[in-house]
Amino acid sequence: MTTIAFTLNGRATSVEVSPVRRLAHVLREDLGFTGTKVGCDAGDCGACTVFLDGAQVCACMVPAGQVAGRRIETVEGLAKDGKLTALQQAFHHFNAAQCGICTPGMLMAAADLFQRTARPSEDEVMDALGGVLCRCTGYRKIVDAVLHVAGRVPAAALDNTPDAGRAVGARFPKVDGLQKLDGREIFGADQAPADALWLRAVRSPHFSATFTVGACDALHRKYPGLVRVFTARDVPGNNGFGVYPQVKDQPVLADGDVRFRGEAVAALVGDRDTVMTIRDDEVPIHYTPRTALVGVDSALAEGAHRLHTDKPGNILAFGYVERGDADAALAAADVVVEGTFETAFVEHAYIEPEAGWARRVGDRVEVTVTTQTPYMDRDEVAQVLGIANEAVRIIPTACGGGFGGKLDISVQPLVALAAWHLDRPVRCVYHRIESMSSTTKRHPARMTARYGCTKDGALSGFTFFGDFNTGAYTSWGLTVKDRVPIHAMGPYHVPAVRAKTRAVFTNETPAGAFRGFGVPQAAITHEALMDEMAERIGMDPLEFRWKNAIRVGQPTASGQVLKASAGLAECLAALRPHWRKARAEAEAFNRTGDGVRRRGVGVGAIWYGCGATSAPNPSTMRMGVAADGTVTLYSGAQDIGQGTNTTMSQVAADGLGIAVDRLRLVWGDTDLTPDSGKTSASRQAYVSGGAAKRAGENLRAEILRLANAGQDAWLRFEPGAIVVEDRGRMQTIDLRRLEAGGPNGDVIMAEGYFDPPTEPLDEKGQGVPYATYGFAAQIAEVEVDVELGTVKVRRIVAAHDVGRSLNPTQVEGQIHGGVAQGLGLALMEEYIPGRTENLHDYLIPTFGDVPEIETILVEDPEPTGPYGAKGVGEHVLCATAPAIFGGIYQATGVRIRRAPATPDRVRAAILARKEQRP
Amino acid sequence: MKPPPFKYHDPRTVAETVELLARNENAKILAGGQSLMPMLNMRYVQPDHVIDINRVEGLSYIREAGGRLEIGAMTRQREIEYADLVARRAPIVREAILNVGHRQTRNRGTLGGSLSHLDPAAELPLVSAALEATVHVQGPKGKRDIAMAEFPAGYMSPSIELDEMVIGVTLPVWPDGHGYGFVEFSRRHGDFAIVAAAVLLDVEAGGKIKRASVTVGGVGPSPVRCRDAEKALTGEKGAEAAFRAAAETCRTIDAMEDVYAPAWYRQHLATVMTRRAMVAAFGRAANAR
Repeated sequence: MTTIAFTLNGRATSVEVSPVRRLAHVLREDLGFTGTKVGCDAGDCGACTVFLDGAQVCACMVPAGQVAGRRIETVEGLAKDGKLTALQQAFHHFNAAQCGICTPGMLMAAADLFQRTARPSEDEVMDALGGVLCRCTGYRKIVDAVLHVAGRVPAAALDNTPDAGRAVGARFPKVDGLQKLDGREIFGADQAPADALWLRAVRSPHFSATFTVGACDALHRKYPGLVRVFTARDVPGNNGFGVYPQVKDQPVLADGDVRFRGEAVAALVGDRDTVMTIRDDEVPIHYTPRTALVGVDSALAEGAHRLHTDKPGNILAFGYVERGDADAALAAADVVVEGTFETAFVEHAYIEPEAGWARRVGDRVEVTVTTQTPYMDRDEVAQVLGIANEAVRIIPTACGGGFGGKLDISVQPLVALAAWHLDRPVRCVYHRIESMSSTTKRHPARMTARYGCTKDGALSGFTFFGDFNTGAYTSWGLTVKDRVPIHAMGPYHVPAVRAKTRAVFTNETPAGAFRGFGVPQAAITHEALMDEMAERIGMDPLEFRWKNAIRVGQPTASGQVLKASAGLAECLAALRPHWRKARAEAEAFNRTGDGVRRRGVGVGAIWYGCGATSAPNPSTMRMGVAADGTVTLYSGAQDIGQGTNTTMSQVAADGLGIAVDRLRLVWGDTDLTPDSGKTSASRQAYVSGGAAKRAGENLRAEILRLANAGQDAWLRFEPGAIVVEDRGRMQTIDLRRLEAGGPNGDVIMAEGYFDPPTEPLDEKGQGVPYATYGFAAQIAEVEVDVELGTVKVRRIVAAHDVGRSLNPTQVEGQIHGGVAQGLGLALMEEYIPGRTENLHDYLIPTFGDVPEIETILVEDPEPTGPYGAKGVGEHVLCATAPAIFGGIYQATGVRIRRAPATPDRVRAAILARKEQRP
Repeated sequence: MKPPPFKYHDPRTVAETVELLARNENAKILAGGQSLMPMLNMRYVQPDHVIDINRVEGLSYIREAGGRLEIGAMTRQREIEYADLVARRAPIVREAILNVGHRQTRNRGTLGGSLSHLDPAAELPLVSAALEATVHVQGPKGKRDIAMAEFPAGYMSPSIELDEMVIGVTLPVWPDGHGYGFVEFSRRHGDFAIVAAAVLLDVEAGGKIKRASVTVGGVGPSPVRCRDAEKALTGEKGAEAAFRAAAETCRTIDAMEDVYAPAWYRQHLATVMTRRAMVAAFGRAANAR
């Protein structure tokens, strides 16, 4: 230990720490400056960027000893006297902070740039901020915000103060936006009681093994700071979890058998130094490795061991949709194309690793955690502890990115279990490698499909078989195997379809929910075949899609006749002028270019059912008026950066008839808010939005009833009173005379409930799986360096049918972020267990990779949605990879069959095509 | 995780540092920390002693002496990036630096650290090899010089003794108006190179190449000088075909294979990157214009 004195945000500071302790941890843990985030601890993500003597550095790579006598500045030091800098304000107005976890790093990197130059160019911005990763925004809004401060981009379109009843559709900035800009926002790793013990899971280094755990006495003797070592036998309730009520196949702590590398085997609890110092191989765990089943072929092979005794052949389940006679339709088709397509494991790579803490409060347990789904977490923790659901309270922190990866529990049962036994607060923060190796991924898929059409371009039939590697445990495998066959033919009217999926267990990382639930993989398949058919019949790829786009009145492959809000044709029509111009420009470029760089333009079209597949999927929202006149929305809909807190407020405010900036928001806490379901399946805007609208309307009805006023009355909320004006007649409800009650102690309250109308699917997948679908079409302009095989995406134009845009700024944010993730899926992202387990080896797009994105919002209102809205969160990703692959084809003549299309694969494909040509 | 326990030393002089190295087994020098800190955190290295040389005096300088550039081991990459002297006398070094990591890492990372770490794909060892740098090291027996060609002993292993440290580098300067090209292939901006090429050309009046230096990084375990390519270029006049033929000689370099790229692709990249670097270098040479 050494005393290290330095200046922190202008103030003399001194701290007693080891000189090799990382500055990031000194700031966060020792000094409480948690605005500086830790995403990787390895200099790969830049979330911990601070100033050291005025220059940006990664605080995770600076030992404390080196800052003695120096100046450190953090995000907390940017705003002066509570006034945000121009840069912070621009981030707010441009929606440059979505989840906010990378924002402190981005702001510091940008502030560093402005020290060097007042009017940086776009290239200089990209260079200065290039060391900070963002997974939500697709970077473009960040660049715009910085360039605005540089005087190069006009102010963002903004509607800060929409009138009562006019919040929906307004570009209202995030209601929780400001705290993401000055370091105040609290994420999973940012807060825990000072006396909290630390928990670290010991994880299997083997893909497949049996094991025993010996006595830990020696370990305790060597490390007095070690309080307990928990193993499977310490789980008081069910040692199993899973997202479906009927499937709990993943143990909290493995019980004698590990099925993937990274599986939790034991949990060390003690002081921080101790649990972080103990090496895994010091814990007396004796593994007996066995053959690892890696990839679906080895898991399906004869003689392969069973991962789960009740699952013969390692098959989790099949999914199936059949309509008409697809074989006959293909036999009769003028043109039939087919192909086999493969995709990889894809990692969510949210910049915030899993983190949280728990404490026991009498016979209850409280878990404060980063999550996408507080109520599911509550029920999971309850059954693991063997206590009632109501005995668990989940208090969500701000969520530093989710994308599906924080739907499954991670730290929750571990810290809850430890706190329950020890009756002391216990916290856990995953490190990056742990996060990547132990949490779910996108399912790798191998899909074979045949598609046929007539020579005049009418689709006739489609068959599909897809294997989806669900890894070691079920997670969301059942959802993926069901969702894919419904969507596999794409957003088209196809008279005859047979689509089958198989989810297969392997000794790999569990594959679960990731933005799109298998639909992005299927979209690569159907869109590649659409391109091939168009070429075979000599039709323009976009016009071929437009001709076949499913329209209102037509049945889906599930036999669901669409009644409204099917805006694909409109999306494609909106892209048409961009498409024609870009295709012609690419052809001209290739005619006159050097032959090394070749350009192409592709189009992808997709659809996506909003909400759970043929399952109850309700949301409840609550609103209340307190005795002092405060109106509150109690929302259980978890905001993971997409802006749900904001859009729910807008919808509820309009339902009630109050200005949105007058509404107080309480979110997430399961003791304070009703169950609004999970943030998943593009359902919050549509389903929870429906509930929020009804909550507002019901509260309004209750107020009108109290005032005995008519439907058109105006409401004015004043301190302690509501003034109701009904055709010139003024009435005052004295709130102080009303009795407080209900779960939140309000004097007037109401709830809203919405469950989208679906119908079960029969054994042929016929029924009404979703109440509504979102549609999208995107075009990608790409440039391929044919010598290298590199693909540079130059521009994306994205047209999305969102029903009604509740907040265009937030919708654009979703589109930008989805495009960036789609680009990653297409070109660079491949998670290989044991090999690409950090943000250095696993590549996600950076500033330089994401092109200009033009967004077109198509509004074909959904009658069951709030003000016509439906979901958008996942559609945004699905169309990008197919569009990029189409562009690669126009540029090179190479058809991509395997994602990601890495440079060596593209180059190999170009060489193979040359050899085939005479 | 946290690094395993080790003792931290904070010397003020090179002599003190060398003595610490000599006295303590399993010691590791901490320079800019941009590779070592994460390696410690991930426990890829587990030293018993860490010797932080950030307060050692006299190791940070950029100067010209006897027609050569001298750069101290603890000179930060950003100082090299912004040094006029480097831009004028060894512009290829500045080109290379712009490909090293990001602003955050360049603000801390040092020349000596990069050379000692000796990542096969790192840019600074590559240009040092291209320029035929001399690496100065100091140990208990005093100072000695190592030619950059002899400096790598193997994969990520410099040929220095356990009790020696890199204290500086001398870079020969090419004539004014020489051509230089540094071309890098990485998957994303700021990543380590998969393959990078550094080419220097001395072009005489009339456009004939008098002398060539061609080096590739990322293909083998350490930077590879492509003597066949250099020979092929010498006497040529910068025709596309000549560059293509010279670059093609790089296809036979023994190549590594990893998750980023198979060996055949690295060899292919070596030919494309060297050719592009040749074209860039020739285009910059004063006498080629």
